[in-house]
Amino acid sequence: MDSIVSSSWPGDIGPIFLTEEQIQRRVAELGAQISQDYAGQDLVVVGVLKGVLFFMADLLRAMAIPVAVDFLAIARYGPTDETHGVVRLTKDLNETVAGRHVLFVEDIIDTGLTTNFIMRALRLHEPLSLKACAFLNRTRRRLIDIDLAYVGFDIPDFYVVGYGLDYRERYRNLPYLVVFDPDQAAEG
Amino acid sequence: MTEDGETQAEVAFAHPSEAAFARILDFYQVAWEYEPRTFELRWDDEGNVSEAFSPDFYLPEQDLYIELTTMEQRLITKKHRKLRRLRELYPEVNIKLLNRSDFKQMMFKYGLDEGDSLIGQ
Repeated sequence: MDSIVSSSWPGDIGPIFLTEEQIQRRVAELGAQISQDYAGQDLVVVGVLKGVLFFMADLLRAMAIPVAVDFLAIARYGPTDETHGVVRLTKDLNETVAGRHVLFVEDIIDTGLTTNFIMRALRLHEPLSLKACAFLNRTRRRLIDIDLAYVGFDIPDFYVVGYGLDYRERYRNLPYLVVFDPDQAAEG
Repeated sequence: MTEDGETQAEVAFAHPSEAAFARILDFYQVAWEYEPRTFELRWDDEGNVSEAFSPDFYLPEQDLYIELTTMEQRLITKKHRKLRRLRELYPEVNIKLLNRSDFKQMMFKYGLDEGDSLIGQ
């Protein structure tokens, strides 16, 4: 199947930051490393919806070991009264993870606030071990230290969309990662 | 929420951007304190404090101070100088500066269009 070409996308997205090939190469490396580290172990891979969808699907298929898969969803902070208040899980785990190894997978870790909350929630399930894997690690605004066992790419301080990452729910389905200027988008 | 149980609504913030930041910390259940400590930076010949700095936030669980500034980059030279001085005198203190761009990015990340109005033009 042909890839979606960039010319079919609106002009407000910037240059490609990571190509499909670069992404897939790194995901394959991560999958191989995780397969080696968890060989013979009972592993549950947990992602938080929905930005992680594409990365997790590729990462899982790059793993050469049998794993269980589950997802969490949380109500993220937002502009409405409903999204103020306190963070909460809107979907908890279906898998029982007590006594099993858990690998938590994120699309991007920025401030660390979301990841910190989810890691705390996962620890309450009493897994045998808990590690974190991020497709993108952007540390410029990191407020909470997160111990990352696996990182796809460390990225500098700019906004990116594609490969699951969105701007107001758009651009998740770009198969690569592009630089995006929210200021310009807001003006347009 | 502060360690004294105060929520952001009960703290008198100097700037609305600080209240917005506190709301985000509250949402993610991260404990914070508002301007809990003043660091002495310079003294006159008689030993009186001539310059001091009070970072906006302290996150006790992270042992991290945060200074939030929404001033334009060209206007924050003085703040950078104070931070440098603080790091010289108190190397054990962890402090992070979140500038105007950082704040705007955070507002975008959390889907808030109020970033510009909180910053001021």
